[in-house]
Amino acid sequence: MTVPLAIPALLADLPTVKEICSCNSFWAILVGSLAVWVLLPNRIPYGKTIGGVLAIVASGLFASDWPLLGNWTDQAVFWLLAGITLGAAVGTICSRSPVYSAIWFALSLLGTAGLFFFNGAQFLGVATIVVYAGAIVVTFLFVIMLSQPEGHSAYDRITWGWFPKTFSVLAAATMVAVLTFLLGNLRTEAAGSFSSESAAEYQARLTAQGAVLDQDHMANLGRHLFAEHLISVEVAGTLLLVALVGAVAIAIQGRPRLARRIEEALR
Amino acid sequence: MNERITYCLILIPALPLLAAVIVAVLGPKLLRSLSHIPVILGLAGASVCSLILVAEVLREQDSLPTDREKAGFEQVVTLWTWANVPDAYNLPGDGATLPPHASRDVGWRDFRIDISLRADALTAMMLGMVTFVATLVAVFAAGYMEGDRGYWRFFAYIGLFVFSMTMLVSVSNFLLLFVFWEAVGVCSYLLIGFWYEKPEAAAAGKKAFLVNRVGDFAFTVAMFLIWCTYGTLNYHDSLADGTTDPQRVVAATADSPPEQKLIRGVLGQDRILAGDYKTGWLATAICLLLLLGACGKSAQFPLHVWLPDAMEGPTPVSALIHAATMVTAGVYMVARCTPLFAASPTAQLVVAITGGFTALLAGLIALTQFDLKRILAYSTISQLGYMFLALGAGTVLGVTGGMFHLFTHAFFKALLFLGAGSVMHAMGGIIDIRQFGGLRRLMPWTHATFLIGCLALSGVFPLAGFWSKDTVLAAVHHNAIEHELERRVGSHPGHPDAEPAAPGPLAGWTAEQLATARLIYEVLYYGALFTSFLTALYTFRAFCLTFYGQERIPDQAGHHAHESPPLMVAPLAVLAVCSIFVGMAFVAWSGSWGGNILANFLEGAPSLAAGAIATTKTPPEFHLDIAGYSTLVALAGILSAMFLYMGGTKEATVLKRLFDLQGADRLTDPEWIAGLERIPWISATTKFLRSIYLGWVVTLVGYALGAGSLVLAIPLLVGQFISPYKLSQNKFYFDEIYAALVVWPLSILASICYWIDRWIVDGLVNAAGMVPAAIGSLMRSLQMGLVQFYALAMVLGALVLVAARLIWAAG
Amino acid sequence: MNEVSLLYNFLLVGGLLFVLGMIGFLVRRNMIVMFLCAEMMLQGVSVTLIGFGRHHGGLVESATSTAASTAAASAGPWGGQMLVIFIIAVAACEAGIAMALVLMLYRQSGTLDAAYWQDLREETLPPFVDREVPEERQEDRVWPRLTPSGVEPPIDPDELLHRPRV
Repeated sequence: MTVPLAIPALLADLPTVKEICSCNSFWAILVGSLAVWVLLPNRIPYGKTIGGVLAIVASGLFASDWPLLGNWTDQAVFWLLAGITLGAAVGTICSRSPVYSAIWFALSLLGTAGLFFFNGAQFLGVATIVVYAGAIVVTFLFVIMLSQPEGHSAYDRITWGWFPKTFSVLAAATMVAVLTFLLGNLRTEAAGSFSSESAAEYQARLTAQGAVLDQDHMANLGRHLFAEHLISVEVAGTLLLVALVGAVAIAIQGRPRLARRIEEALR
Repeated sequence: MNERITYCLILIPALPLLAAVIVAVLGPKLLRSLSHIPVILGLAGASVCSLILVAEVLREQDSLPTDREKAGFEQVVTLWTWANVPDAYNLPGDGATLPPHASRDVGWRDFRIDISLRADALTAMMLGMVTFVATLVAVFAAGYMEGDRGYWRFFAYIGLFVFSMTMLVSVSNFLLLFVFWEAVGVCSYLLIGFWYEKPEAAAAGKKAFLVNRVGDFAFTVAMFLIWCTYGTLNYHDSLADGTTDPQRVVAATADSPPEQKLIRGVLGQDRILAGDYKTGWLATAICLLLLLGACGKSAQFPLHVWLPDAMEGPTPVSALIHAATMVTAGVYMVARCTPLFAASPTAQLVVAITGGFTALLAGLIALTQFDLKRILAYSTISQLGYMFLALGAGTVLGVTGGMFHLFTHAFFKALLFLGAGSVMHAMGGIIDIRQFGGLRRLMPWTHATFLIGCLALSGVFPLAGFWSKDTVLAAVHHNAIEHELERRVGSHPGHPDAEPAAPGPLAGWTAEQLATARLIYEVLYYGALFTSFLTALYTFRAFCLTFYGQERIPDQAGHHAHESPPLMVAPLAVLAVCSIFVGMAFVAWSGSWGGNILANFLEGAPSLAAGAIATTKTPPEFHLDIAGYSTLVALAGILSAMFLYMGGTKEATVLKRLFDLQGADRLTDPEWIAGLERIPWISATTKFLRSIYLGWVVTLVGYALGAGSLVLAIPLLVGQFISPYKLSQNKFYFDEIYAALVVWPLSILASICYWIDRWIVDGLVNAAGMVPAAIGSLMRSLQMGLVQFYALAMVLGALVLVAARLIWAAG
Repeated sequence: MNEVSLLYNFLLVGGLLFVLGMIGFLVRRNMIVMFLCAEMMLQGVSVTLIGFGRHHGGLVESATSTAASTAAASAGPWGGQMLVIFIIAVAACEAGIAMALVLMLYRQSGTLDAAYWQDLREETLPPFVDREVPEERQEDRVWPRLTPSGVEPPIDPDELLHRPRV
């Protein structure tokens, strides 16, 4: 089927206004967009409070619309981790101070790591904490210390203006909405299979796919990494080396100019 | 096949080339001021090889088998095949209408260019002359060019030139002849513009190159016609597979397999013996085009304008390239193509006219020039005109005489140029004969050798020029028309070897045509005699002004005006000895007054040995009358030059005023005419006439003078601008005429083309190029330098992708 | 545990993380925060990949495969996690280079504002000028103020006594 002919089908397939209005996710996206819009650096009075409330409402709306996991402990843990991750993410982008941004980001990373654990990717969870939270974020903080020790600056308090901000938020909302719309089938399937799988079946499937959730997880992962993806590992290693050299080269290059600037300033 | 000839033929060009390459590679860094050594050694080696070659060719000519004797001697060495296009051309012609032996010629044939060298008398003579003069000039240049910034470059060019020149005279193919024709042209261009910082030198080089292009164009068209007519560009006969072994070539028959069939060379022995040459307009066209090519290279009218300017180059170059060797390439070529020219008496007549006219023209111009080297340059043009005149006589004697004159001229003209170089060297680069004088005490050696050169050039007995000029005049006097007339009345005093009554190409001419041609040749003969007078006059004018009179030295010479170093004097001395003796020796060795071993030697070359030209062979004879006339004329020229220019130049000034028509304007001045009456003898006469009541006669004469002056006024006033003196001084305004007729229209055309190219063609291209720029200027407003707006654009793109995905999913 | 629900939830969490990072990258002007946001987008992708990896892990060619997951299935059960490992490696490289560049730019300009570098725009375009810059509110002047590295901080006696928040 050619694409132009697909448009009528798409139009026919679009949800009606009533369907949209009765969909919690729609309201969640709307409210969440508004929350982010309000929370982003601006001069709205009580912006943080309003934004925080809106964000909580949006979270609730989202949570009410997402399919359940069928196990309340799992559900609680997931909601906790997802909440930490997304809340910290909102904090990252909305903090006036880059230091707070970095710390919020670290928290978001911890939530992500938790999600990785929750999803059976133990190694990645640890790696995320060690590499990201432990190394990268600390590097960020060092750079912030080196370059912006005085704390807040004017450009952290403002954005590019109302249009880029609104447009960005709208674009983000559109993307999430389209994602939700596209995942509609999956959601229906999830709702349909909610009770279709017994514990025994689940165990059987775990056994079948055991590779990921096995207790030899690390061994399996290493085997895959260094067997099937050996060349990629080499390339990644080279990339790291090149990045190291590049970073050093860039940093060294800047030094004489700094000295010259200082000299000029002194003169 | 004579092995020694083969080796010599290869060595002669190879040694100068090797020397040139060595100097070009090692010169700038390693050899520097020693750059002349490899070149002199290479040229000397080539010179020795040339002598061996001459001796070998002479021996081979004497020992030819009797059945081949009539065809002359040649040996062709094929090195490799340069190009071969199989079945390139279907030579038109019907075997049935041709004589049986010619049927081998017709049909499809390859365009095959072999790198083949040949040895015959013509080549051997040219090689010997070129390498010998080149060696001496190189020795001279080692002294002359000392301290020049481009010392190594000069010698590399000289080596390259000698390589090209030796190849030019020894190749056996018109295409290769053309290649090396161009190569010597390039060397000439490079050496004229050797001091390229000087604008005149650069312009002169350019002029020489461009004028030569005209001739070269004619040459290429001639080659094309030759290919279409004769189906080959080789001089020599060969088999279709390129074999040149004479035995196998002769053995080829109509029954031979295709690759063994004979391909008759354009100047091949088989063709010459058979007399298988096209006649009529095609032959004339080929010959005239070849002649135009030769005119370009040999600086003949109408393409003579480049040679005087070429004197901007270093003097040894003028001596070697623009006097002795390269400019004679045209003469060599016409001599080489004698069988072609013999097929077209019209073309021969044109050759003679061109030569005679150029000789006279250049002689007239040389009379009034002040640049010593330019005088010699015009003298060269004039002497080259002599050679063409001789070649145009259409007899064996003419061709051999022309080549003989070429040979002797190379020596004494090189001598004169080197002498001029010696003077120039001493005068600090000044060459204007008005700025110096009386140098005979200062430069005794140069004076003596220059005098010998002048005498030889003027044709004084018994120096070289006398013998060769006498031969030329004799050839013109007893030209092909005379031979034809004699043949018609049956009193041909033919050479015992020649077939007495073979009808030549002139057989078809009517008596009226013959009479006209005879008249032309007669005029040319007297013109040549007059040119001989002019030659002596301008030569000794330059000589007297330079070496006699009050001693004057220009400021540029400083205090170091002195005789040149031995390294420069030695070549002068050698050339002077040659100038004295070459003519005499050739005649003396032949054992008779009219004999000439060089002529006998040349008659062994295939081009001259057989064919139509061979019917004009005459027994050796000394033309006492012609020699007497020419000697008298030369002596008259020398004496008048000495009378005019030795000591004071008062008489010369009077002559100059006369020829410049100065004072003529006074005839148009009434007051001057009225003032005539105050002159004592006129007033006395008037008084006397009045006293005897004849005063009306006075009045009548006065009115007549007044009326005459009015009538004369306009032509005389015009004549002042183109007086004979001014014409000569300004080279008959040839440069200006060419500038008006050729250069300006072409430059106007070029500027129009430039304008079209610049504004229309480039404009279209630029307009096409502006389209992306215009589109880009629309997009440019997006480049606002804010990173996040670029990211925003990416997000927009991502949204488009998402929308596409949405539509796809719905589909 | 309902695996399909898990996948759905992970995909949405990953998507949200991604778009939040995108918003931050587009809106914030501090270059360091911009890079933090870029890392966050990478994290969103990582979460998505982990979700798919779990979903397809071991269940090759299962009936639960959706149209969107057929491509990922071919990567094998470990594909998602492998990709995330390389994402982390690339992110580390990116961070290193980016930090060096940010330092360089800061040394050149003395500011971390991305708008400072708008000099690179097309010369005919007008510059971007902030309409108004709000004063810093008192309530935002809060800790942590980081100590300038290598410089001993001047001790403010007031701050020794009064710290609103730590």
